[in-house]
Amino acid sequence: MTTVVLRRRMPAGRIALWALSLLVVAFLLAPILVIVIVSFDNSTLFTFPPKDWSLRWYSALWNSRDWREAFNLSFWLAIMVTGLSLLLGVPAAYGLARGRFAHKKAIEFILVSPMVVPVIVLAIALYMLFAPLGLIGRPAGLLLAHTVLALPIVIVIVSAAFRRADRAVELAARACGASFPRAFWHVSLPAVRPALISAGAFAFLTSFDEVVLALFLGGPNTATLPKRIWEAVKFELDPSLTAISTLLIAVSVLALLIAEIGRRRTSTASNHEA
Amino acid sequence: MTAPAAVAQSHIRPWQARPGLMVWGALGFLAAVYLLPMLTLAGWAFRDPKGGFTLAQLVKLFAEDTYHTAFVTTFRTAAITTVACALLGYPLAYLMATTTPRARMLLTAAVMIPFWTSVLARSLAWVILLGKRGIINDWLVGSGLTAAPLPLLFNSLGVQIGMIHVLLPFMVLPIWSILMRADKALPLAARSLGASPARAFLHVVLPLSLPGLFAGCILVFMLAVGFYITPALLGGDRDITIAGLIEMVVRDLLDWPFGAMLSLALMAMVGAIFALGAVIAGADRITGMEGRE
Repeated sequence: MTTVVLRRRMPAGRIALWALSLLVVAFLLAPILVIVIVSFDNSTLFTFPPKDWSLRWYSALWNSRDWREAFNLSFWLAIMVTGLSLLLGVPAAYGLARGRFAHKKAIEFILVSPMVVPVIVLAIALYMLFAPLGLIGRPAGLLLAHTVLALPIVIVIVSAAFRRADRAVELAARACGASFPRAFWHVSLPAVRPALISAGAFAFLTSFDEVVLALFLGGPNTATLPKRIWEAVKFELDPSLTAISTLLIAVSVLALLIAEIGRRRTSTASNHEA
Repeated sequence: MTAPAAVAQSHIRPWQARPGLMVWGALGFLAAVYLLPMLTLAGWAFRDPKGGFTLAQLVKLFAEDTYHTAFVTTFRTAAITTVACALLGYPLAYLMATTTPRARMLLTAAVMIPFWTSVLARSLAWVILLGKRGIINDWLVGSGLTAAPLPLLFNSLGVQIGMIHVLLPFMVLPIWSILMRADKALPLAARSLGASPARAFLHVVLPLSLPGLFAGCILVFMLAVGFYITPALLGGDRDITIAGLIEMVVRDLLDWPFGAMLSLALMAMVGAIFALGAVIAGADRITGMEGRE
């Protein structure tokens, strides 16, 4: 019955399109699902589906001081990167959206161009800069390096939001006597709050998942989570790596959810305006 | 500007009247931690250790076959990745643009979750799936489809699979974005004038979406050329890319001047691809990260 109804509604081309798209979706999601499921397997071999479920690899992680320290370092580093890139990026985004000045196109290009530079090239260049300054193997060096990658993301997301936001409300606040900082803080920023949340979430992930800069500019004191995973993979494929990968995936999904909640608030807000 | 306006302006402090000044923080930061090191890199590539200017590193770049091989491997891998991403990504983007809002939300999640998931975690997943004793080979041998495990990992096939997986969302998002904004009435008009669905797609929808497709191809190719993690984890000794070569030259040979020259060559390639894309599709479409939010 159902198939008859479906066929009447859907032409053959549409069915083929769905079939192909679902295969592509399966390809995109399969590795992620597999690694999450395998992380709950009790055996030391990677069997799928697992025969014996357990939290063995998670407790191994929890009990390992090295992994806990790596997680803490990555977490706090990512928080600092998020703070610094919002601090620099949000005013810059406002300037790009509202300002009119010479060479604007060129400046905009410089601000977003780190997104397309191969990270390995940036790593080599930063090594040459940091080595004489004694910043190699220091968390401060990684903070600067990760901010180079996170800043353009903040600028792109937030400047797009400032461009969409209604400028008249800001001008009204100014006309009612609010000083520029007051209007910026109480009117301009709240109008783009969802974008600030997305930008912050993606800046956090950019640093939290970053491997190449951590490898090149890091030392024993800056063993971030991805750096430790990389070294472990090169050494031996340990099953607890599936648990740590699942943790990374969970952090990404959480950040995406936070960004999505922010985005939904924008669409409801703009519906009210309309 | 009239005289009274100029007087009014003079009472406002410069940074109040000129939001453009607010870009200086970010610009200063990037000048110090991004532009300066990139210039230093260029300096290293052309500086003689004994002092003065030298083209020795550039000559070396063109002299040795090992380096040619790495360039050829990089280009081949990037080209295959781009074509595969376009073929797999376009139908998905098209479906996302034309389906119901609920289905669109689920499909978007299926693209965004891998997009923002650690490349390292995903490459690791492929190691577990594709290895000699990995899950796929377990199934193939267990079900009797193949007698011996297939070589899926630590070769160019493994690199291709991993890179297509990482870069596919970069293709889907710009195409989806342009299809969403295209006028939905145009293909309907073509249909009502007697065009078959295939004809309406080929002559109306596809041409409208070409800038998105170009932007996706440029973006994927540009990122693929500079890839380091996936080839290093999923490739074998023969699949060394330019990025891998840079790592080797710097880490093992400690030849920083030549590492700098290779980096410069890689940057020149990426820059050329970007310039091509900016001319064809517009720079904003490539760096704009449309749909990333």
